[in-house]
This record gives sequence, C-alpha cells and structure tokens, in this order.
Amino acid sequence: MSAKVAALIRQGAPTSCAGRFVLDADAWRAMIAGLHNADLPLLGLWADGVQVHALFRYGQTALVASVVTPPEGYPALSPVRIGAGAPERIIHDLWGIPAIGGRRDPWLDQGRWPVAPPLVAHPAPMPGLPEGREFIDGPAVMQAGGTVLGYGPAEGNFRAPFHLRLGLPGERIEAVQPCMGYAHRGLAARLRGLAPQQAARLVARIDATATVAHQLAFARALHNATGTAMPAQDVAAGVMLGAMERIATHLDVLAQASAMLGDGRSATLAATMLEQVRQTCRELCGRRLLFDVIPPAATFPVCVEGTQLAALAAGHASLHRLFWRPRGLAAQARGKGVLSATMAARWGIMGCNARAADKGPGDITDRLDARLSEIGDSLCALATPPEASVMEAEGGGGEGLGWAEGPAGPIWHWLRLEAGHVAAWWCGDPSLALAQALPVILSGAAYEDVDLIVVSLGLSATGADL
Amino acid sequence: MAQLHLFGPEGTPLPRLEALDIFHIESGGCTGCALELASLSRALLAGSHPIRFVPTPRQAGMLLLTGSLTAGMAPVVELAWQAMPGPRVLAVIGDCAVDGGLFGGNYAVLGGVGERARTSMALPGCPPAPDEILAALVRWQASVRGTSG
Repeated sequence: MSAKVAALIRQGAPTSCAGRFVLDADAWRAMIAGLHNADLPLLGLWADGVQVHALFRYGQTALVASVVTPPEGYPALSPVRIGAGAPERIIHDLWGIPAIGGRRDPWLDQGRWPVAPPLVAHPAPMPGLPEGREFIDGPAVMQAGGTVLGYGPAEGNFRAPFHLRLGLPGERIEAVQPCMGYAHRGLAARLRGLAPQQAARLVARIDATATVAHQLAFARALHNATGTAMPAQDVAAGVMLGAMERIATHLDVLAQASAMLGDGRSATLAATMLEQVRQTCRELCGRRLLFDVIPPAATFPVCVEGTQLAALAAGHASLHRLFWRPRGLAAQARGKGVLSATMAARWGIMGCNARAADKGPGDITDRLDARLSEIGDSLCALATPPEASVMEAEGGGGEGLGWAEGPAGPIWHWLRLEAGHVAAWWCGDPSLALAQALPVILSGAAYEDVDLIVVSLGLSATGADL
Repeated sequence: MAQLHLFGPEGTPLPRLEALDIFHIESGGCTGCALELASLSRALLAGSHPIRFVPTPRQAGMLLLTGSLTAGMAPVVELAWQAMPGPRVLAVIGDCAVDGGLFGGNYAVLGGVGERARTSMALPGCPPAPDEILAALVRWQASVRGTSG
C-alpha cells in the first residue's frame, strides 16, 4: 500500500525541489484515503500561503506532497496521521488556512498577537485577549473534583517556556492540556527576505541544544536549492560538531535527571564532563555552544585532541557504571514516563526517543541509557572520524530540502529562494511531536515526576514553537 | 576564598560572594543563555556558594531574564515581578534580553526587556559564558556595596 501511495504522490506535477510533487484536490484526497493502510511516516506539514506541503518518509527517501489551498481549506491529514494535528493548527494560526476535518483551536496563538493571521500579506489588527487562553476541563477532571495543577511556563528552571494544565483526580495525572506558543518568535516571518547568510545566523539560534543540526540541515537545504555541492570540509565539520553537540546535550540531560533523582555523584560527573566538552568546543571554534560554525572557518581543525577524548571516554565509563549500579539512576527511573515503540510510531516520534523505545518498555531508564550509548558512539566517531566526501546537491531550481540528525531526532529545513533571498522557509523539529504526545506520556504519572519526564524526553519548546 | 572548579583551573580565586536568591525566566529565545546559566547554577551549588537560583519568585531578590520577551511571556514576567517580595532588582543576560539582539520586535516578540524597563544589571553576549555571568554578578554586588557603603 505504501508503494501505491508513493506512486500516487509521484504522479503529481514535479517541482524544482527534488522529491516534491503538486497534487490536485482529488489526488490529495486519494492520498489521504491510501494513507489509512500505508506505512509512510509523516515527518512534517507546513504551508507557504499558496500550498500546503506534507513531508513523508518512504524507505530511505523523502517525499513531499503539496496541494494548492483554496480559502475554504484543505482536507486534513490528522484523521490518518495523528501527528498532523498540531501542524494543522499552527498553519491555521499563522496563515488562517483551515484543515477540513481537523481541529481549528489555536496551538501557538494565545490571543496576544497584535495581528492575525500574522503571515498573510495583509494581516488584520487584533485587539488581543488580556486574559489569555481559557482552559476547559474534561469530564474526567470535572467528575472527580480533583486537583488541577499547572506546570510552567516559569518554573525557575533553564528550559524554554511552555505550560501544562494537569488534572489529578487522585494521586496520578489523568488529564493533560498542553499550552504552547510562549517561545514562538515568528521565525518564518523573520527569515523572509533575508540573504542566506543572514538567515543562517537566525537558524543557528532556533534551539541551542541542537544548533549544529539546525545549521547543517539549513546548509544542506541551501545547497540543494542552489544546486551546489557541499564541500568535503563542511561535511566533515558537520559530522564532528554534530557528535560534539550530541555529547553535550545528552550530558546536560543526564546531569539534570541525576540531580532530580538525588544522584549527586552522577550529576557532578555529567556536569564536569559537559563543561569539558564546552571548553573543547571553545578551543576548536571559539564557541562554547557551537553557534555559527557551519560552514566552518577555513582554519577549522577537524579533530579533537586525544587526551581530551581519553578523559571524556573515562568519564563516560564511570557514568555508565554509576548509572547501572544497584539502586542507581537506572533502578530509580525504571517504569516512569513510558513512551513505547507503538506510541512513538503513532505520534511520528523518531530519533533517540524512538531508539530508546526499541530497547525496552521505553521508560526514563531506557531513554537515559540510549543517551549514554549515543555518547559512547559519538566519542568513537570523534576518535576515528569517517572519511568525508563532497555531498552532491539534489535539485537546484531555487528550492531545497535538507535534514540532519539532532540530539532529539531528525531536523528538517525547507526553503525557497527568489532573487537570492529567502522567500519561504519551514523547519521541522522533533520537539513538536513530543509536545503532542505529552498528554499520553504523562497520563498515569505522579506530579513530582513531570519535570523528570520532560527532561528525559529532551523536549525543547523553542524548537517546537519556532 | 571561593573557588569555581568547573570553569577554570583548580584553585581559581574569586572575590567573596554575598547571598543572593535569583529567579530566572527564559522569556523566549534559543535557551543558549539559559544553558550557560544552568552551568553556573550547578557550579555554584557544587561549591556551596551563597548565590543560588530559586524555584519561585516569592523567595527571590533578583529577577533574571534571558530571551527576547515574547508576547506570551510578557504577562508571565510581570506576574513574577509582582510576586517578588521586598526590595527586588531586575537583571538581563544576553543580547536578546538586553535589546532583542537578532530577535527584534515583531508580531510575536517585544524585543528584549532591557529596552523597556530599568535594569540593575545588563550583560550582553550571545551567549555570555558562565564565568562572564558570574563576574557580572560579582561586579554588581560590589557596586551595590559601594553605593550603600
């Protein structure tokens, strides 16, 4: 069935972007009907004001189906791909284009923007809602007369803001209503009209925990749009810096989780290793957090010193030992915040969290273990960097798609250039799927574990909100 | 003398720190500044230093903002400020919080709180390193001592 849907998409009108085809309304509806029984994971859904685009993974290739949207809207994908729910609401928030058959309540817009919808050519001024968004409790919380607790957007922690309204009829969470949009900075509007170099500086600052992956995905999309090959040095730098970023982000998660579970030794060791990685990054490219490193400077040394790697490898071995010791972190986190492989597939969650779900039940222990394993793999990659070669461009007609594996999962960038400037742009971050799945993951959890579960997932609201 | 082992060679001396309770809000940014603040917080905690980050504005004497102040976060910042008891100060860290930086005002962003409110401490940078943040806090404490003395 997947092959049939893929063939249907490919029958659409080809575009200047490799792998993107424009379908008519009937073909779009036929595609949705075919998706019921097809194994085509949805990787992203976005709009450019004229068309709506759906990005699928077919085998190892990316396939984009587009449809021209009349003012009354386009047939929704969310009935067949639950992960399309939030993107459809975001498209409605930003462009005013409704998904027929999907939800239309806001995802990003909390009623405080001065205009709506903000990305159209002539947005209407809005008075704004001084009270902000209203929550309506579901029957489970109403009937039980239970406690309703909030989480975020200001918890005094060091993460991007978002809000959860948690209904606790008893001691366990039963109802979760996420409220996103606090971290929305209007990046799609900001990038329009910028030269690629200016846009790259903004892209590097989408999410500091995955900045290299964003830079790399954007650079690949740009190379594909312009039809120029990515030089071998850039490819090598991307591999190396991506590994450094993965190590740093995973260590940050481990340090936070250890501190929350009261494992001071693991927390101190992870924080010390994290600081070593940050200082190594500063020595290599002058940036502790690896902003603006792709494309790399001509003098960039594509290797890390052996002594630094040996120290990190020793620290990693100790962290692994501490993690699995009796009554250690692994034992304490077992059974909490389960994200099973079935749930991951249903919500379109990929990357580190999906790999963790394949290891076991998909609880916090599995996720932290997966991060520990990836730290080891990344250290190996730094010790013996693979031979880098030039990455040939696909397409070249002014529109390109690129991706890179970030610490939390694959990151996608799509852009269209006109007269050498960005005319339209989209970014797909794994945090959006995680934010959508939060109600399911947190269901049945204790309120005290919410922070720990959110940290273990690596959810970044700034990547989800853009 | 206090020492901050994580950011410098062991034995790096620091001026004496005074007790300060800080409530941090990430007001909408890439969280780079927040990550560096997290590193600083861990180091201060490990060294049992008297500067600490607290989980509620009701305990705090300093409201420390990072990020470009989105439209959604502006009322949250205001509520946190109103919840702080007694003498309180406002500090901003990073280019975004100081003047918007790369994320100037648009429909979703107010463009930094440093341009809109009087701040006691403003440290630009994208992002400033933990040792720079700590140095700025120490300088600010010294200036307050100098003023009150």
